[in-house]
Amino acid sequence: MSRSSWIVLAAAVLFAVVILASARSERTHERHTLGWLGVCVAIAALAIWRPGIDVLAQAMGIYYPPSALFFLCSAALLIMVYRLSVGLAQERERVRKLAQEIALLSVTRPDQPDQP
Amino acid sequence: MFRPVDQPRTLAVLLALDEEACIARTVREVRAALPGADVLVVDDGSADGTAREARSAGALVARHPINLGVSAAEATGLAYAHRHGYGAVVRMDGDGQHDPAFARALLDAVQDGADLVVGTRFSELRSFEPGSLRRAGNAFLAAVVSTLCRQKVTDPTSGFRAFGRRCAAFFAGVHPHDYPEPESLLMAHRHGFTIREVPVRMRPRTTGRSSLTPGRSAYYMMKTSLALTLELLRAR
Repeated sequence: MSRSSWIVLAAAVLFAVVILASARSERTHERHTLGWLGVCVAIAALAIWRPGIDVLAQAMGIYYPPSALFFLCSAALLIMVYRLSVGLAQERERVRKLAQEIALLSVTRPDQPDQP
Repeated sequence: MFRPVDQPRTLAVLLALDEEACIARTVREVRAALPGADVLVVDDGSADGTAREARSAGALVARHPINLGVSAAEATGLAYAHRHGYGAVVRMDGDGQHDPAFARALLDAVQDGADLVVGTRFSELRSFEPGSLRRAGNAFLAAVVSTLCRQKVTDPTSGFRAFGRRCAAFFAGVHPHDYPEPESLLMAHRHGFTIREVPVRMRPRTTGRSSLTPGRSAYYMMKTSLALTLELLRAR
């Protein structure tokens, strides 16, 4: 393997360790952990098996192999960011409902003292 | 307090964000204009003493623990009305821009059978004049909303509104994001609620700041147009 392959492989392993560490300390959800580990495996696989990029490019009908890689990366990022944006909107909605419920449950009357 | 049996219980909802300086006066004005009505101030996460001042003036206070925006604040007020069985709700701004003297006229229109009553600035009554940019924006939105609702709407961005029981219950559950006014008119129309406009006078704000700057107004127009289009594409 070339030096660049080793560097990419090391980066993939490091990324996987970081992901597992954050999952262990419950900073990320299992659902997301699995997806991110999948990304690590894909990066590692392409680092070890370089011709895989050429095979992919050929299968996609792309003449210049790195373009195929860029395309796949951007597509994956686009999907992940979109899912995040949807998830964020859902969370926002849930936070809003919770805050409204708190407000409705703790309505104070004119004779009541101020609440913290 | 004594109330004739045939008159529905009325709730005045005042939306406030950091209105410590003027909320008490607004509450007192509303209480004087609508004797017998309960006044609920929805404090949308104020950092100042808005809640304390509102209570001292005799209002009920619902406090959002975090700032949620005008639309959510309105929905909180309507949800309170719905849960406590109020028959009519008038919604006004806490800064006193909406002249409480006209609240009765809005509620009378609800009593006459309208589900959603909008206080319009653009009538024979002389009001505080908003800037020309906002006037143009309003005219554009008015044309769009009038076409979509198949009835003349002159002031689609007015937040001075009254809701009948069914309409309050509806908007307590479903409501638009961010700045809700034009979109909620279309929603009301599509769900078969009768909409009526009543002339009101609005006053310039004395304290605080407007949430709409010119830059944001342009963005607001685009977002509202998109929201109106999306509302048309939604299943009823």
